[in-house]
Amino acid sequence: MKNLYKSFLLGILLFNAVGTNAAAQENNDSSWLDSYNRAVFEFNIKVDRYTLKPIAEGYRAITTPDIRDRVNSALYNVVEPISAGNHALQGSFKKTLISVARFAINSTLGLGGMFDVAQGWGLEKEPTGFDETFATYCIPDGPMIMIPFYGPSTPRAMTGMVAAVYGDPLYWAMVNDKNYADKIGWSYAAVGVLAVRERSLDLLNDLEQNSVDYYAAVSSAYQQNRQKLKNLCIFNKDKDNDTQSYDFDFDIDEENEI
Amino acid sequence: MKKTIFTILFALTFSLSNAALASIDAQKAEDFVKKTTQEGLTDIINSNVSQAEKDKRFEKLFNEALDLKFIGQFVLGRNWRTATPKQREEFIETYRQLNIKTWSKRFDEFKGKEFIFTGTSPSNSKGQIFINTEVPMEQAKPATVVWRVKQNGNTFKIVDIIIENVSLAITARNEYTAFIKKSPEGIDGLIKDMKAKLAQ
Repeated sequence: MKNLYKSFLLGILLFNAVGTNAAAQENNDSSWLDSYNRAVFEFNIKVDRYTLKPIAEGYRAITTPDIRDRVNSALYNVVEPISAGNHALQGSFKKTLISVARFAINSTLGLGGMFDVAQGWGLEKEPTGFDETFATYCIPDGPMIMIPFYGPSTPRAMTGMVAAVYGDPLYWAMVNDKNYADKIGWSYAAVGVLAVRERSLDLLNDLEQNSVDYYAAVSSAYQQNRQKLKNLCIFNKDKDNDTQSYDFDFDIDEENEI
Repeated sequence: MKKTIFTILFALTFSLSNAALASIDAQKAEDFVKKTTQEGLTDIINSNVSQAEKDKRFEKLFNEALDLKFIGQFVLGRNWRTATPKQREEFIETYRQLNIKTWSKRFDEFKGKEFIFTGTSPSNSKGQIFINTEVPMEQAKPATVVWRVKQNGNTFKIVDIIIENVSLAITARNEYTAFIKKSPEGIDGLIKDMKAKLAQ
């Protein structure tokens, strides 16, 4: 098993040596992509305003924070195996075990994941996914792309999402229509979307109210936040680890002062 | 054996970080952020005074702790150079007021929260340092909040706050630059729009 890991990692390393040059160019600001993104963003905002946002507000109005905690907890429990698998792919044995144990404990004693019993036992939740795994293998992220009806993403994040869908037991439930499995799958997915939107209500309202250019603010914040994943790259571990992505050159021309 | 290696490593990292930090007093910078956040949490956010009194105290703390002239100039980017002295002054004043208004509305989100100081990191900019903190969250991993501090003689000022890797200064700079590029009135258009946000 260990040898398998090694050869797998080695393969990734070789692959990456070819891929690094492309990565250097990914930050090129292409204006056609920017105007496309802006158009999709405006479209998404309009759709959201009349559909998902009011539903999410309604959901918040009829539930208590405690109920929403139970819902969020149960939703996460379903994808805990994906975290476990990816901790393994990232080579973290301990985190894999914790994740597997969490799934076993919370699915049973935690009543289908509604209660995070494992957390109380010191088994901390640490979600991870294919996107983080790709980042660990130093696979470049690519430019930010606005996806219609979804929001900001990148080619790597999208790939990770598709992989997660295939790894999700709920997806297989949806395609398999025996014994109401598909209905359970779809309900979980619908509640999942609703819960995600509810959690971001305050943040996005705040950002929309306080920005003079909502699109520019969202895309800037999204891209900066993704820079964090660069630190996961196993090659960046030894070199230049001290320089943070937000350590931009922050000096101003004194002669231009007021 | 293990102990020796550890000692050498420790000495090495210590001397390296010492060299990098030569121009800024890390301990004092951290103490400054500690004092500022402490004051914000106990005297403003968690205190039992009226919202008006909180706003007043916050404005005072904000003016004292942040170098708004420095931040404002960075945020305008290359537009700073073409701006007239009057535009510069007006922009900084509007930016200051808008920030105070925005943050005042967020007090409740910070109720009962605390900052845990997790050390400092050097910066490539001269006389600046990052103070790392974490805010414990219910049901989620702690949020990382990094304070960028600039030392000038014996005074310390916050010049940027980085939340979950998102720098407020860079975000504002990208936003304002994009706005000015689109706006037919340039910087004046931006200031007008910001004032409209203030009046809301």
